[in-house]
Amino acid sequence: MPGAADRGSELSEQIEAFVARLRGGGERPRSEDTARQTLSLLRKIIAHGRWSRAGELMDLIRTEGQRMTAAQPSETTVGNMVRRVLKVIREEYGRLHGRSEESDQQESLHKLLTSGGLSEDFSTPYPPLRANVIEAINELLIELEGTTDNIAMQALEHIHSNEVIMTIGYSRTVEAFLKEAARKRKFQVIVAECAPFCQGHEMAVRLSKENIETTVMSDAAIFAVMSRVNKVIIGTKTILANGALIAVSGTHTLALAAKHHSTPLIVCAPMFKLSPQFPNEEDSFHKFVSPQEVLPFTEGEILAKINVHCPVFDYVPPELITLFISNIGGNAPSYIYRLMSELYHPDDYEL
Amino acid sequence: MSTEGNGNLIETFRAQLRDDPDVASAVAAIRALLGFLKQDRGETIQGLRSSLLAAIDTLSRVDSSVAVSSGGELFLRFISLTSLEYSDYSKCKEIMIERGEIFLRKVSLSRNKIAKLCHPFIRDGARILTHAYSRVVLRVLEAAVESKKRFSVYVTESQPDQAGQKMAKALRKLNIPVTVILDAAVGYIMEKVDLVLVGAEGVVESGGIINKIGTNQIAVCAKAQNKPFYVVAESFKFVRLFPLNQQDVPDKFKYKADTLKTSQNLTEEHPWIDYTSPSLITLLFTDLGVLTPSAVSDELIKLYL
Repeated sequence: MPGAADRGSELSEQIEAFVARLRGGGERPRSEDTARQTLSLLRKIIAHGRWSRAGELMDLIRTEGQRMTAAQPSETTVGNMVRRVLKVIREEYGRLHGRSEESDQQESLHKLLTSGGLSEDFSTPYPPLRANVIEAINELLIELEGTTDNIAMQALEHIHSNEVIMTIGYSRTVEAFLKEAARKRKFQVIVAECAPFCQGHEMAVRLSKENIETTVMSDAAIFAVMSRVNKVIIGTKTILANGALIAVSGTHTLALAAKHHSTPLIVCAPMFKLSPQFPNEEDSFHKFVSPQEVLPFTEGEILAKINVHCPVFDYVPPELITLFISNIGGNAPSYIYRLMSELYHPDDYEL
Repeated sequence: MSTEGNGNLIETFRAQLRDDPDVASAVAAIRALLGFLKQDRGETIQGLRSSLLAAIDTLSRVDSSVAVSSGGELFLRFISLTSLEYSDYSKCKEIMIERGEIFLRKVSLSRNKIAKLCHPFIRDGARILTHAYSRVVLRVLEAAVESKKRFSVYVTESQPDQAGQKMAKALRKLNIPVTVILDAAVGYIMEKVDLVLVGAEGVVESGGIINKIGTNQIAVCAKAQNKPFYVVAESFKFVRLFPLNQQDVPDKFKYKADTLKTSQNLTEEHPWIDYTSPSLITLLFTDLGVLTPSAVSDELIKLYL
């Protein structure tokens, strides 16, 4: 049937384009956009793909997911969205299969003692499954739209008048958070410029447009200024399973300075940034870009004698973090394991 | 309950440990209790429960370790949960026996699950410190060797029974370079080490562990030098205790069963175990997944409440 074949090839073209875009780097994409694109792509795969049983669908999604995450491992939102979709499929299948809503899909001591047999195999075909899963993904997309607003709504509880807030680099979530608080409160913001890309400058420009008193300073001055700061509010790229962060380079320094001065460190990040990986192989999260920003090519003579690196991300251990503010509210880092068990199924942690 | 029934129970338990030196004592206890359940002639759940309680008491007089206690409690909980679902006693007993077999089968796979979760945390070229003899740690290191990683191990000698020597011998068989160090040398060696990996005899509700004496020292040194402290334990070792300090750990766990029976003054005996608090532990690897210490209490609540 030419129609189906056309749709099939168009779909694989779109997947290829997405993977190429991920691999290409270039413009730093917004995490929310990546998440949305991943979900739309997965929805198309479910709608047009050739599958009849839940098990086949899950294998299909898993294969595509592996391809997408392999293209750009540091872009963890892609993997997270794939895992959310897999959990959605399991839930919808469970609902159609007649299993009670309360039954825990997670491994637990309780389940170990009371289960009568081995796990199910998702092989019964259910015609309404396709529509149900697509409906659930639409709900996920709607949830995605509202994350920044949900986080910003909590701003007034955390920021008080005449406070000095410090942040680093440019995070759109933190920008929305601070703008929302600025509508009712008067406070100052110190932005660390976050060399070598100096995105702190852009953040400072945007904040000052909203009449927030902003100061920009270099990363080296973070420790010096910290004694005057009341709170540190930062964004992050990824939240790991033990409550640690993969954030822009320079954040670890900021976190250590805050800990030393007993200043609370608040992380504003939506839940789709939560990844079930542990920081066991630190190299796999690292992304290095052209060291031109650190040492320009014009310094040709010394380039032959030295090694220059320009890492993009930093690892921040969970002990340095005070609070996570996400679209579902505020949580301590020690509670992250629980949020993870609600979002993803343990069998999907390894895609 | 007849004494010959008890005698059989103790004999089954001892036979398990003798025939398979690799089996965990909690699993041997549960297997012995399951055998006891099969032979039980009672007609009511209450009767079954009380005879089981007596049986567990007998077992702990033979081997008073935390593991046997946690295995026994888990088995009791297992009985209560099943009896809640089925009111007819004979049907209930059938289901119990069936589920018991399934549970034992799943539990025999738990060491492999843990090894699979834990060995990615051992990097190539790592130097690992471990304490005394733990079969789970051995399995993890075996898995790391199978995935072609090169690493070296320091083992504490672990007095008074020199369990560390036994561990070193087993590691040498796997061709892992191993060094046995004095228990007192832990502070000295800690700066050379990349991570600490220990097993546990029991995991308590707060997320802390009960393990061979000396573990607490190692944990404190590791924290002081910022080294990750990993614990590997199967989920049947989770026990319903909440010690706040070393005193709170019950005496029956600290000393061997014969010592408890014969000694005049327990304060003159040396304890065999100590308690490590959760703030010193980085991660726990169990067959329920990789858990932070705060996740452990969640698991226990899900089971017992």
